[in-house]
Amino acid sequence: MTAAAADADAVLVERAKTGDRTAFEMLVVKYQRRIERLIGRMVRDVDLVPDIAQETFIRAYRALPQFRGESAFYTWLYRIAVNTAKKTLMEMKRDPIVTEAARIGRDEDEDQARPDVEPSDAATPDAVLASKQIAAAVNFAVEALSEELRQAITLREIEGLSYEEIAALMNCPIGTVRSRIFRAREAIAARLRPLLDTREGDRW
Amino acid sequence: MAIGPFDESARERLSAMADGEIDGVEPASLCAGWAADEAARRDWHTWHLIGDVLRSEDLASDPRRDRELCVAIRTRLQQEPVVLAPSRGLAGHRGRWAVGGAIAAGMVLFVGTFTVIHPTNDASPVVAQADRGPVAVAPAPLPGTVPAGEEPVVADMRMIRDAQLDRYLAAHKQFAGTSALGVPSAFLRGATLDTASR
Repeated sequence: MTAAAADADAVLVERAKTGDRTAFEMLVVKYQRRIERLIGRMVRDVDLVPDIAQETFIRAYRALPQFRGESAFYTWLYRIAVNTAKKTLMEMKRDPIVTEAARIGRDEDEDQARPDVEPSDAATPDAVLASKQIAAAVNFAVEALSEELRQAITLREIEGLSYEEIAALMNCPIGTVRSRIFRAREAIAARLRPLLDTREGDRW
Repeated sequence: MAIGPFDESARERLSAMADGEIDGVEPASLCAGWAADEAARRDWHTWHLIGDVLRSEDLASDPRRDRELCVAIRTRLQQEPVVLAPSRGLAGHRGRWAVGGAIAAGMVLFVGTFTVIHPTNDASPVVAQADRGPVAVAPAPLPGTVPAGEEPVVADMRMIRDAQLDRYLAAHKQFAGTSALGVPSAFLRGATLDTASR
């Protein structure tokens, strides 16, 4: 993670440390996908991932006063996620009910799909397709941007440069960088919205 | 803190905050605005999804999944005590104080489950914790509305006021916490106070 990327969290982390739970929620939205991907690599049962992710963020919230900024916030969060996943796996090994259920599953009729190997929401063909569509839409939208918007969003999101660094590279004021990145995000989001549209009653 | 409409200018500042490129007093009002405006919360998610996907396409995820996790975490956070990082003025304090609810200077604790040990002659009550049951926290009257030296009104429950606690809370008053939706959480759990006997 670049220094600029690490600093990007400082504002919200400081707010969260002062007791602003909203700031912490904003960090959750930022990192939830990466944390879920990490946990998904560690546990075989993908249905466990949301629970372990939830536990990770709550543990991080409780430990915030101890976070001194010696590492990047995400590095610290990463360690908590790994420890939480390991702890969950250890507890499952010790849980006789889980072990028994697994044993019964193996004893049942071989023709039946075992519950523990049914695809979860994350791994269904529909979910995989939806993810591919989102990725394709993002890439298509970026290609459709003007040169200066594409350069600004790419330097920020892929190269991880600060606004000051981007301004120097693009030879424009920092305010212009800020505006271009915002407009790029709005343009890409507009193309994504049909794919991300919420159903009635879904609320953020 | 006044929260104006979350217009395009505010959203551009929110976008800058996503990159850590905002400072001063703005973060507080932007966070409050985010909590109050669903479109802002949706945009924040979309912008970060865009960034994740640009860096790694396997992070393209179903927004419903993301939303469910966020809502679940928000619900749990509302049940957590607000944790505070002490100000530099209290460098001598160690450990973590868990205090819930909106905190104002001169906060008064309404204690339902604590036992107050008989106050000493200097009117500084020593408190022993009888059990770790929940405690309701009521914000104190705003500074300047209660004449100095006037005793707080005692209602049905016992009230304690401790000089040490007041000083601690005054140092932390700028760290007032609210719930994610900007509503103060009036629930205190597990506050403990160790005071030397006077």
